[in-house]
Formats: sequence, structure tokens, C-alpha cells
Amino acid sequence: MKFVPLAAAALATLAAALLLGPANVPLGDLTASPIIWQLRLPRALLAFLVGGALGVSGVGLQALVRNPLADPFLLGLSGGAGLGAVVAIALHLPGPWALPLAAFVGAVGAMALVYRLGLIGGAELDPRILLLGGVAVGAFAAAITTALVSLAEATELRNAFLWLWGGFSGASWTTVLVMLVYAPLPLVVLVAAARPLDLLALGEEPAQYLGADVRRLKQLVYLSASLLTAAAVAVAGVIGFVGLIVPHMCRLVWGRLHHTLFPTAFLTGGIFLAAADTVARTVVAPRELPVGIVTALLGVPLFAFLLRRWTVS
Amino acid sequence: MRRWTPRTHLAGLVALAVAACARGERVPVRGGVAVTDDAGRQVTLAAPARRIVSLLPSFTEILFATGAGDRLVGRTTWCDYPLEALAVPSVGDGMPPSVEAVAARRPDLVVLYRSGPNVTAAEQLERLGIRTVLLDLNLLEELGPATRRLGTLTGHSRAADSLARVLDSLASQPPVSSTRSVAFIVWDNPAIVIGAGSYLDRLAALAGARNVFHDVGSPSAQVSIETIAARDPDFLAVLSDSAGPPAYASRPEWRVVRAVRERRFLFLPGQLFGRPGPRAAEAIRELRQRLEAAAR
Repeated sequence: MKFVPLAAAALATLAAALLLGPANVPLGDLTASPIIWQLRLPRALLAFLVGGALGVSGVGLQALVRNPLADPFLLGLSGGAGLGAVVAIALHLPGPWALPLAAFVGAVGAMALVYRLGLIGGAELDPRILLLGGVAVGAFAAAITTALVSLAEATELRNAFLWLWGGFSGASWTTVLVMLVYAPLPLVVLVAAARPLDLLALGEEPAQYLGADVRRLKQLVYLSASLLTAAAVAVAGVIGFVGLIVPHMCRLVWGRLHHTLFPTAFLTGGIFLAAADTVARTVVAPRELPVGIVTALLGVPLFAFLLRRWTVS
Repeated sequence: MRRWTPRTHLAGLVALAVAACARGERVPVRGGVAVTDDAGRQVTLAAPARRIVSLLPSFTEILFATGAGDRLVGRTTWCDYPLEALAVPSVGDGMPPSVEAVAARRPDLVVLYRSGPNVTAAEQLERLGIRTVLLDLNLLEELGPATRRLGTLTGHSRAADSLARVLDSLASQPPVSSTRSVAFIVWDNPAIVIGAGSYLDRLAALAGARNVFHDVGSPSAQVSIETIAARDPDFLAVLSDSAGPPAYASRPEWRVVRAVRERRFLFLPGQLFGRPGPRAAEAIRELRQRLEAAAR
């Protein structure tokens, strides 16, 4: 039952995203206008899917490392994606997909490296080693990125950073399709891990005694959450804050059980990012704000409000 | 900026030594020249500059156009016009300038575009005893004043004045009534366009094309593809040296823009349009011709 209001809010947000925009589309032309079909609809759907993916990925990673500061991009993924994107530009790789694909490869590369580092502490993936490995790999990738930027021609690379800071300017049906084809598998894996993740919250040993295969669980959750984030990077760049705040919001409102947390985090993340993108497109029209600014400006006060309300009661 | 730190220390030491030797020598000399630059500094030279380093392609062009090109002893890697400029040694990309590479050319005047990092570089050069001049050059109307002051500092006032007069009259022309509209697309993802308060906006107005983003007050701005589609420019201007359609032209989301669907692109070579320069009149003429050719 708790999903009905959320689902309704999701539909309302998507409807608002379709109706609002800098271009004036008469209501009668709504179904025929290419502005709706080719621009607003794919953009709204993509923002929703990416927001949902980041929300779910954040829930999974926070449960895995049992650290409230964990963010899908904390484990080196944004650094890897940035390096991939900058390499694609510096090497002048051709084609419209070169940049997102390179960012994806970079993110997955960083993920593999952090994962390998995590295994040093044993196959059960010590969260402390994962976090430290993530920060270290991220810093290393950022250093190489900065070296490339300071040595190569500047204007194109500045633009690469614009892309990397995230946004849905390049949304199209192709990018929606990429998310639709790619996201379900890691999503299903994560949702299937809901019950063992609840056990993991009790601690690794209790979870083991209660019948969870902790080692396998952590590997699956880590890989799924990271692959989901890497896909989000490929279609929308690095959009911070959603994967950090949305899981906390959902935990505050709907409790800590993962079988509710995953769906609510998907819907809340989707609503949040689709709404933020609508604001980004319209509030300073004809100009456009980077969506990451809006997510932080909207999200922080909302989060502070929730935090106050739920910790007081 | 971090990578300059060791050099800055070295430069500082050298500067102390130079300052100690040079103190009290600032007596105005007969035949000296002086201008006030755009940082509000008085720039005085005992004699017109003989060894000049130019750190902006526009300044390099102006110096050659006023007959002071033979005084150039350093340029940036971007200074590719006129052809003779390529014979001048490069001191790097100039963003930010390598103070050491500039100083190594032993210039008696360094011409810099006024920007944060350049103001710092100018201070460092002054500490080494090298005179610098910081000039604004973002707009058509800034070309004339910059040219006049460079003319004074190089002793080519007459040629500079006549060039500056042409540029000033160009800048004071009223916009031509326009039947066509254009959007300058600087980058595609996110879409970045040129707004008012820019050199290109003014060039377009004088060439008879209305910039559809003239209401955007800043030189460039991020906009959505939807806004470009709604503004419906007749042409998309692309700063590009190749004449192939840009990569985004084939992407479905961009095909909502009529000018993309109809392949109405204007390819503007960066050397002529990418920077304000003494060839502004040529750029306007060229743009007008391209508009007319494309409209046919």
C-alpha cells in the first residue's frame, strides 16, 4: 500500500516534466509535438531511471559497507569515469558514443581495481578496505586526469568536464533504451538480496549464523551497485547527492527493511531527479542549470527537515 | 596553478635581486612612451618596445597589422595568423603563461589579455624587471583602444591609429536589419550557445543575422536543445575549420531543431571568427557572404 502514493507522485512528476519546459507547446499539440516526443519524454524518463538506479545503488552500497557516508560514486567510480572521458577526448576518439562508452569503461575499470584491492582483505570484502581502496583509486584516476588536462589542449577538455558534471542534455530514446536494457539485471540481483542484506545489518557473524552467504552476498551487491552506477555515468555523467541522500530519506520514512527500501529508493530517486531536472530546465529559462546544483539545493533542506522531524519524534 | 609553485619561488628570488639593482632608475627619458592599461596601471617605456612577447593571438594579429610584427620575439602556440607569426618562437599555450619561458625571450614588453592568472603572471614578470601591459579584448569595441595603445608602445602610432579608426567605426555602426536568424553552438552536450555581450553576437548583427540568444546577457550560456528548437534559428553557426556537419547533427534529439534537420550549418573558421581581431571587417563580410550563399 505504501507504494501507491509514491507511484502516484512518480506519475505526477513525469507529467509535470512533460508539460513544463522553455518551449511553449499548446495542450492540443501535446501528442504530436516532436519537442514532447523527442526531447521532453526521453529526458524525463532518463532522469527518472538514472535517479532510481542511483537511489537503489546507494541503498545497496550503504548496506554493504555499513557506512552512512557511502555514495555510489565514493568507491572510485567518478574518478574512473572522468579519466575515461578525458582520455576519449584527448585521443580524439570519433563517434557520438565514444565519450559515454569511455566513461563507462573507466568506471568499470576503477570498480574492478577497487574490487581487486578489496579482495586483499579476504574474499568477504572488508568494508574498510573497500572504502579506502575506493578513495585511493579515485584519487589516482583524478591525478592522471588532471595531468592529461594540464598537458593537452584546453578548450575541449573543459567541455569534457561540463559533460562529466552531469546532466540530461543529451537524453534521447537511445540513452533511455540503454538504461532499460542494462538496469534490470543488477536491479533484480539487488532486490533478490533484500532479505540477506537485512541480516547483514545485524553484523557479519550474526548474518552468517542466520544462514546468509555473506561472502557471495557482498560480492554480488558490490558488483551490481557499481555496474548500475557505471551505466548512470555513461548516460548522464556524475550526478552527486542522489545516491547518498535518497537512501537515507527512505530509511527515515519507510524503515530499514530492504524489501521496502529498494522499491521506495527507486521511486524516490526517480521522482527526485526527474523533478530536479524539470527545475533545472525551466527556472532560469532560456538558460539551463546543471542538474547537480538543483539536486543539492532541493535535497539538502528536504533532508534536514526529515532528519529533524524523525530524530525528534 | 600548483605546478608553477617552484618556478614562482625561483622567479621571486631572481626578482629580489633584479629589484635591488634596478631601484631608483625610473627617470622619464626623452623619447619615452606611456599608456594606461585596462588594469589601471601606468605603463611607461624609455623607448618604443623592440622585443615584444604577445600572449594572445589577437594581439599578435594587431602587431603584425600595424607593422610591428618584426618586433615580436615570442608568441603563444595559438598565434597562427598571419603566416609570418609562425616564424616567431612560441612560449607555450599561455594559459597560464610560463613566466620563465617568457622571460627567457628577454622581452622589453609583454602584452597580456587581462584575466586573473594573467594579472598574476604580469606581476611576476614586473618583479623580474620586464614591463607588461594588460588589455581587455572580448568585444568589437575593445579592438580600437587596444590597437591604439599597442601602437603607442611600439612606436607605430600612425598605422595603429588608422587601423583603430576603421575598427572604431565598425564598432559604432548600427546593426543591419536582419531577415535571418542564427545560433552559435559552441558545444553540444550540454548545449552551450553564444549570448549578447560577445564579439560573435555583434559580428552577426553587423552581417545581417539576428542571434536568437541575444537576450542572454552573458557571452556564453548552457541552454537546453528544447530552447534552441523553440527559438528556431535559420542557421546554426559552428566554429570549425572542417566543413563536415558536426557529430551531433546525426543524433535524434538534435533533429528536433529545424536547422539541424535541414542541414543549415555555417562553418566559421576559428582563425577568423574565434577571436576578436583586426580582420573584423573581413569576418563580417565573410559571414554575410556565407549567409547569402546558404540562403540560396
